[in-house]
Amino acid sequence: MTTLWILFLTALVTTFSGFFAPPRTIKALTLVGMAATLVSLAFGWGETVVAYGGMYTFDAFAQGITLVMVVGAMIALLADCDYHKRLGWPAFEYYPLVAFAVLGGHVMASTPHLGVMIVGLEILSIPLYALAASRRSERGFEASLKYFLLGAVAAAFFLYGIALYFGATGGFVLGAQGSGLVWAAAVMMLMAGLAFKAALVPFHWWTPDVYQGSPSPVTLFMATAVKAAAFAAFARVVVSVGLGGPAFYALAALVLLTVFWGNLVAMVQGEAKRMLAYSSVAHAGYIAVALFGPNPAPALGYYLLAYALSTGLAFAVLAQLDEGEGVPLRSLAGLWGRSPLLGLGWTVALLSLAGLPPLVGFWGKYMVFLEAARGGQYLIVALALFAAAIAAYYYLRLLGAALFSKAEKAEPVALSGSAPVGIALATVLVVLLGVLPGLGYGLFTAASAIIR
Amino acid sequence: MIHALIFLPLIFGVLALLNPSSARALGLVGSFLTLLLGVASFGGFLGGTDYAFHTPLLAEAGVYYAVGWDGVGAVLMLAVVVTTFIALLAAHDVPPAMVGLALMMETGLLGLLAAQDLVLFYVFFEATLIPSLLMLGLFGGAGRVRALIKFAIFTLVGSLLMLAGILAVRYLGGAPSFLLGDLLAHPLGGSVGVWAFVAFLLAFMVKTPLFPLHVWLPDFHAENHPSGLADVMGTLYKVGLFGFFRWTLPLFPEAFALFQPYLLALAALTAVGAAWIAYAQTDWKRLLAYGALSHMGIGALGLFSGTPEGAVGAIFLLAASAVYTGGLFLFAGGLYRRFGTMDLRPTSGLAKSAPALAALGLILVLAMVGLPGLSGFPGEFMNLLGAWQASPSWTFVGFLAVIAAAAYALNAYQQVFHNAPERPAADLDAVEWQWGTLATLVIVFMGVYPKLFTSAILPAAEALAAVLGGGR
Repeated sequence: MTTLWILFLTALVTTFSGFFAPPRTIKALTLVGMAATLVSLAFGWGETVVAYGGMYTFDAFAQGITLVMVVGAMIALLADCDYHKRLGWPAFEYYPLVAFAVLGGHVMASTPHLGVMIVGLEILSIPLYALAASRRSERGFEASLKYFLLGAVAAAFFLYGIALYFGATGGFVLGAQGSGLVWAAAVMMLMAGLAFKAALVPFHWWTPDVYQGSPSPVTLFMATAVKAAAFAAFARVVVSVGLGGPAFYALAALVLLTVFWGNLVAMVQGEAKRMLAYSSVAHAGYIAVALFGPNPAPALGYYLLAYALSTGLAFAVLAQLDEGEGVPLRSLAGLWGRSPLLGLGWTVALLSLAGLPPLVGFWGKYMVFLEAARGGQYLIVALALFAAAIAAYYYLRLLGAALFSKAEKAEPVALSGSAPVGIALATVLVVLLGVLPGLGYGLFTAASAIIR
Repeated sequence: MIHALIFLPLIFGVLALLNPSSARALGLVGSFLTLLLGVASFGGFLGGTDYAFHTPLLAEAGVYYAVGWDGVGAVLMLAVVVTTFIALLAAHDVPPAMVGLALMMETGLLGLLAAQDLVLFYVFFEATLIPSLLMLGLFGGAGRVRALIKFAIFTLVGSLLMLAGILAVRYLGGAPSFLLGDLLAHPLGGSVGVWAFVAFLLAFMVKTPLFPLHVWLPDFHAENHPSGLADVMGTLYKVGLFGFFRWTLPLFPEAFALFQPYLLALAALTAVGAAWIAYAQTDWKRLLAYGALSHMGIGALGLFSGTPEGAVGAIFLLAASAVYTGGLFLFAGGLYRRFGTMDLRPTSGLAKSAPALAALGLILVLAMVGLPGLSGFPGEFMNLLGAWQASPSWTFVGFLAVIAAAAYALNAYQQVFHNAPERPAADLDAVEWQWGTLATLVIVFMGVYPKLFTSAILPAAEALAAVLGGGR
């Protein structure tokens, strides 16, 4: 309960104090709120809190997801500073909107009730539509509108799914079992609606445009926190309906399409944000691989953490380079010479995303594949691993663009405010959790059940 | 002590990256201390200590930080520390960051040799790739990005398939952890075992390398920094034979028996084909790349024979070739420093003006050719001896490669040092005297007293041969 209240109050206080305090203060307040959330998470770690007649179930799984979201939000907040100043980005709204989105994601992750889930989904989504357009540029509007329209379609799918679920089981709470055509349709609808938000192929079409058009810190937030929340709900739905029959084939198709399509299309992109957008699509596929295992919660949560740190770090570096029109590959050239911190962060982030040990991304992949292997799905593991090898190609291209080619303009990148702190922190975490994998994975072992 | 040995180079590597101005000194001190620790560990190993240590790394998934030296690991460890020190001594004009990356690679190599847990082995095996890629990408020649992508894709496809195999070995075999002992106690047979074997096979065929998965190798060497440092580290990184010896063959004896005839053929054809191609090369690095490839083929022929002699020979050859192939890459780097080209042809007739340089070249080339008394001979001899017991006909083919080695290596030597017209060139400088002497001493010592190393390898080789049924 404390976590919920802290997030709620953070969102409210930052909204109203924004009317008279400068953005810098609002940013500090939001960060304090996020830090307080971390503290309350630490105190209640592993203990399940049930409130509102079971509609709010804050179990170990939801705690892990909330942790990932707060980490993503904090990187997004810390890394935005320079971007904000350089591009004259609209004042304070960014911070309360992020806080509201985290609150929504938290609600979405902490409920077995489909009605509450869609309330959380909307609290999460509506701030994002505003955030996507917050730079007030053509591209921003395009991104926002696309996101809004496709988000509405996704919500519609999800609502139809809820209605059918009620028809098949007579309730709104996950965990019931039904049968027949209505039940199958309900499962498919629910999965499709959430697959939109989690950006699984073929429901990913909005991702590249929205990620590219949004301001880079917002993209960072979407790729980390929003994906975690969407996956929390997706995992709850999939685990509760079980993987018998059509749901298994639907999930297998989603996973394989996602890892192959995401990685193959990423190879031919010419712009770094778009490339990473497709990479985040592909990673959604790897996360979903964990769902084939008998106890997916720890591996899934751990992968989300590993992925959030790595991809958050990559986008945080891009946020420092983005002039508002995206980051073409050639403008990355000579990154190491222009700013060693950015060069190091970029190298570490990409190698981790590519899944090379001893970085945290490797252990994330390792744990989800292990989970699927425990579930006996060797073919899916082998195919997903093959896709991971394809992915190495474009991660190396991104790395090569930054490291192995001469700079057009050699002036150093000026980092100011909290950006170096955020980037350094994320870099250290990616390496540290990679060298000592038990440290990160230990956080998630308590999450033994997604559904109780 | 084993942890100090593994991680000391990493510490010095990071220090060298942070202090570019004193990188050379840090590189020399770091690799020399590692060399001392390595020699002391080898002495300790001969005295009966195996330095085994293990602690959970990710206990929930059965992953341990488990290290220790057996005979194979210890001999190759010695080759790594000696060769890295020689390379860092010789490469005095490389960019400072390269020294740091080379030291980081050394940590990865020592770790993968010491690892007694399959996942830990994989972690070190893959982690070594990162500095290797960075060295090629940052300091390579004009075609480096193409070479890098080729190298990375071959390696990663192979090793990710191996990761799938690793998961299968444990979960289908039913071992409680990824520790070598546990895995050996729960062998994975049947058709699944064959598939897992193939996954491992591909990964290590890339890294041996064996035909047809060798195509990354010539570009990798040709595009790397001309000093030869990256080539030496890359040569050390070709641990495929070790991977077969330590992991693949003992884990899948049944599947190996099924594939053995084809693998022998592949190894022999690699040896002969690469030697044939090497003869046609006019570029030092490509010549050495194909020459080393041919030798790896001979080593694989011995290892795949499944006999103790062949297995000992393969590991001995791997250790010996690290020194002489590495030395030849550094030697070619020295020629590049003098003439600004890797081409063999325009540097003719050096023997008159630079006799000491010619002498060093001759020693290295003769070691590669396999002259008795130098380090190349014992390994090749034992390989062919072992292979003969498994397949006389393929051994004959492999023997042709040994003859061909004399042709391509001596031909190259003659072109550079004895053809007319004579070219004026500086003789060995102080640094070249130092590393040349050291390398010569090592090569001669391995040649006249191979027993020190072969007797260390023999128990493991006999155990392997027992698992494989002696190759007959």
